[in-house]
Amino acid sequence: MRRDRRELLLRIMALDFTALELNLYLDTHPRDARALEDYNKVTQELFTLRQEYQERYGPLIHFGHGFSKYPWQWIEEPWPWEMTF
Amino acid sequence: MAELYRKMQLARAYVPFQQYTRRFEPFDGLMRGTIFPELFMPYRPKEMIGRSEG
Repeated sequence: MRRDRRELLLRIMALDFTALELNLYLDTHPRDARALEDYNKVTQELFTLRQEYQERYGPLIHFGHGFSKYPWQWIEEPWPWEMTF
Repeated sequence: MAELYRKMQLARAYVPFQQYTRRFEPFDGLMRGTIFPELFMPYRPKEMIGRSEG
């Protein structure tokens, strides 16, 4: 996988993890304004990067979560187990 | 702390309330398994304490 694609994917994975952690924290601290602000900031960047990734390389998540160009791109993705990080 | 300790009853779990201050950079958090510095407690190999050799 080309370097820039891999770096974009790693950034998405890292942001995904951060959003997940903030989400878990907010479940027990719903009134923590700073954590909520951070969560929305991370989610915004994540949304933008996911769109960019999918525009260039095809769907990240399937079953109606991402579009595909012609021909069907989902089967062309390198599978996660074919990649080392 | 001792005074607090005296009030602690046996067989009770205490989870102090976490206060969000700062977080690791996303990639560091992913590698460390948490974004919260206060929850990053890696198990580091240390010499065995109180075990006689051999």
